[in-house]
Amino acid sequence: MIKIGADSITKRFGEHLLFRNLAFSAESGESFYITGANGSGKSTLLQILAGIQRPYSGHVTWEKNNVTIIPDDYLKYSGFTGPQVNPYEMLTALENIEFVSGPDVDLHNVNELLERFGIYKERNRQVKFFSSGMKQRLRIINAIINDPPVIFLDEPGSNLDVEGKAILYSFIENLKPGKIIFIATNEPDEIKLCSRGIVLDDRYL
Amino acid sequence: MTGIYKNLRKDFLVEFRNRSAVNISFAFAVITTMSISLVAGGTSFEPHIHAILIWMIIFFSGMNGLAHTFIREEDEKNALFLRLAYSPEDIFISKLLFNIIFFTGIISVICPLYLFFLQARPLIPQLFIATAFSGGLAIASITTILGAMVSKAGGKGSLFTVLSFPLILPVMWVSITNTALSIEGAESANYRNVLFLIAFSGIIACISYLLFRYIWVE
Repeated sequence: MIKIGADSITKRFGEHLLFRNLAFSAESGESFYITGANGSGKSTLLQILAGIQRPYSGHVTWEKNNVTIIPDDYLKYSGFTGPQVNPYEMLTALENIEFVSGPDVDLHNVNELLERFGIYKERNRQVKFFSSGMKQRLRIINAIINDPPVIFLDEPGSNLDVEGKAILYSFIENLKPGKIIFIATNEPDEIKLCSRGIVLDDRYL
Repeated sequence: MTGIYKNLRKDFLVEFRNRSAVNISFAFAVITTMSISLVAGGTSFEPHIHAILIWMIIFFSGMNGLAHTFIREEDEKNALFLRLAYSPEDIFISKLLFNIIFFTGIISVICPLYLFFLQARPLIPQLFIATAFSGGLAIASITTILGAMVSKAGGKGSLFTVLSFPLILPVMWVSITNTALSIEGAESANYRNVLFLIAFSGIIACISYLLFRYIWVE
């Protein structure tokens, strides 16, 4: 059981205040959305929760079975994907997945996910030849291949066609039990996947 | 170890398929050496002139390619993907190893080419080889950490060369001096300077290893 808490999180970039005094928590089995206007800080908040960025003030805590996890270890328990997370274009899809796979992942798991997300036939093709939708599918596979207990998805449905979104949403529904899923999005269908969430608006400025 | 190996393998695969840094560095090395050979037209140079020319070619060939390993990660927006997958320590060691291997390859091309085309014959070849590779090791160690800093600063080319100059200067001074002595076959030639270069590399690598996390992670 993992619990993630955000306490009085404030983020500013120089003089520009992004948000102030955010406080919430989530635990295993919950899915949490982060939504708001463009530029409201959805991606930044997601990265703060994942330990990729530091807040200006406040703190994030992760606990596993009531034992605190240090920030340097957050990424060991999580998978993250977003528009800024780009696989290597000179590597094939399979090589990219193998690059991020841990020792517990075998080829069967990989092929299963490739099939599930509809890019199995392209697995030996260099990513530079992929469409934006195919790259997005690969990004999602990279985030979940190690079966992490916490998953951060930044605009997961972007660039996906109708079929791709259907596959993604169905996959997220199956992932929910036992995992914490954070989704930063403005898509109503993705917000509906979550049990609760936060809207970054003027209340946090 | 797995992380270091996987990163190293990835860098070699990407570089082999992309070939931008490799092509630029090797092309620069070959073209410069050939140009000097043509301009020299059979003129015999003093040992210290040979040493200066060799190390100028090595230095600028390296500058073209050594910072590329980190700058490419930022330019092609792979830095976050890499950061999510591996610890800063694994990333640093793999990049350092890549630069050492890459630069050793460049030196292995430049030195024989230069010696052949300019008819230079080191009278103490073992010292020449040891100086070439230990000097290359030192330059690779320096440029790895500076490449990381420059990539995060969003700077390119000229910033990297300017930042590296104060650290590279002692390495170049010692390498040029020792290379001249090896070509000349001077009695004062010894391996102490080679030890200095190796020790310098070790110190830079250790300090860089400790500091890299603060450069790589926000």
